[in-house]
Amino acid sequence: MDYTLDLGAVTRNLGPLFDGLAVTLQLTVAANIIGITAGFGLALLVLSRFALLRLPAMLFVEFFRCTPAIVQIVWFFYCVPMLFNVFLDPITMGVLALGLNLTAFNAEAYRASIQAVPREHLDAGIALGLTPAQRVLNIVLPQAMRASVPVLLTNGIGTFQQSALVAIVGVADLMYQGKTLATQTYRPIETFTIIALFYLAVSFPVSQLVGWLERRRGLAAR
Amino acid sequence: MTAIPQDAALVRITDLHKGYGAHIKVLRGLNIEMKPGERVVVIGPSGGGKSTLLRVVMGLEEIQQGSVTFAGKPYISAEGSKTRIDTEQRKKIGMVFQHYTLFPHLTVLQNLTLAPRKVHGVSRSAAEDRGRAILARFGLDAKADAYPSQLSGGQKQRVAIARALMLDPQLMLFDEVTSALDPELVAEVEAVILQLASQGMPMMMVTHDMWFARNVASRVIFCAGGVVVEDGPPEQVLGNPKEERTREFIDRVFHIKG
Repeated sequence: MDYTLDLGAVTRNLGPLFDGLAVTLQLTVAANIIGITAGFGLALLVLSRFALLRLPAMLFVEFFRCTPAIVQIVWFFYCVPMLFNVFLDPITMGVLALGLNLTAFNAEAYRASIQAVPREHLDAGIALGLTPAQRVLNIVLPQAMRASVPVLLTNGIGTFQQSALVAIVGVADLMYQGKTLATQTYRPIETFTIIALFYLAVSFPVSQLVGWLERRRGLAAR
Repeated sequence: MTAIPQDAALVRITDLHKGYGAHIKVLRGLNIEMKPGERVVVIGPSGGGKSTLLRVVMGLEEIQQGSVTFAGKPYISAEGSKTRIDTEQRKKIGMVFQHYTLFPHLTVLQNLTLAPRKVHGVSRSAAEDRGRAILARFGLDAKADAYPSQLSGGQKQRVAIARALMLDPQLMLFDEVTSALDPELVAEVEAVILQLASQGMPMMMVTHDMWFARNVASRVIFCAGGVVVEDGPPEQVLGNPKEERTREFIDRVFHIKG
C-alpha cells in the first residue's frame, strides 16, 4: 500500500478535537454524578424487602445490563421525544442515556458490596447493642463503600469510553469531531489513531488507579 | 457484677424450641438454669445445637417455643409466630464468635470504642481511656492504632474479647472462639478467658477443646439432639459421665485427641 503518514493534517486541527474531548468529559462527569448517586438509591431498592420496590428496580437493572448500550442510546434519542414529547438538547439526552445505563451497573456494584459484608459482622453489631440504623451506618456502609470504589471507577471509565456511541446521534463529542476531521482531511488513519490515544490518555491512569486500589485492598483483606 | 440474689438464676432457659424452616429442628425443648458466677461449657456432637443455643441467648435468633429470662427478668419469649427480645436485656450480654468479627475499616481502638460511644453515649476520650486500659490488661496496648488486617488471629480474638468487655457485660458467651486459630495461637486466647474466669465473670461457652473445658468450667453441659443429655461438674461429665451417650462422645473425642 502506498500511503504516506501525515500527522500534520491532524495536529493542525487539534482545536475541534479538544472541543470534542471537552464534550466527552462533560458527558462522562455528568453521567457519573447520576450513576454514583442514583445507583446507590437503586441498589437500596434492589435490596428492599418489599417486592413492590424490588421488582421494578431489578427490571430496570436487567434492562440496561441485557441490552446493548448503542441500542439504549438510539432508543433514547429517537423514542423519548416521540413517546413523551420531550425535546432536550443532544448533550442532555446523552447524559441521561449514559447516566441511566451507569446507574444500573453501579447499582449492581453497590448491591454486591453491601451483600459482601459478612453476616457475622452484623451479628457482632447486635451483640454490641447497636441499633439497626447504627449497624448500617457504622458497619455495613463504610465497608460496602470502600469495596465498591474500584468497581465504580471501572464502570465510570467504561462510561467514558461508551460515550463515543453518542456520536452516531449527532452529539459533537470527541468521536464525532474525529469522524468529521477524518472526512475533511481524508486522513482516517492519523485521525482515528490520535483519537484512540486521547481516550487512552484519560482511561489508562484511572485503570492504573483501580489496579493499585485493588492490590491495596487485597493486602488489607489478608 | 450487679447485685443478683445468689439463689436467683442468671439465665433461665425454659422449654426452648428452635428450628430452621419447617423440617430442621435444632433445639427440642431445652432447659438450662445458670446461676450467677457459673462458667458453663457446652459440649456435644456437631449439629447438636450448641452454637444455636449461644446464639439464642445472645438474642440473634428467632425461637419457636419457650422463653429465656436474664437476671430474673423476662428476656426472650416466643409469642405465637413472633419472638419477643428485650433489647435492653440483650445489652447486658457480650459475645465473641468463631469467625473474626472485628470491623476491618476501624482501628483496634475504634472497634473498642464504637459501641460505648454510640450505644451508651460515653465521650470519646473516656471510651478511649477505658479501651487502652483493657488492651493493656491483655498485652495489646501497642496495637491500639493498628487495623485488624495487621493482627494475628489470636490477637484478633483477644481484641474481640476486649471489645465485648467495654460494655461491662454481666454474661460472656464464647462460641468456639479458638476453632479458627492456628494451634500455636490458641493458648494466648484461652489465657485471656481464664483471666476473666478468675475474676468471676459468668460465662457460657462452646468449645471442642476438652482440656480447656476442664480448666475453665465450673459446670459442663452435654447437649445432643437439641436437648440437655447430661449436666454436672466437669469432673463428672468429662471424667466419669453417667449417661451412655456422653460416655461415647467423650471416649471418641479423647481417642481422637490421643
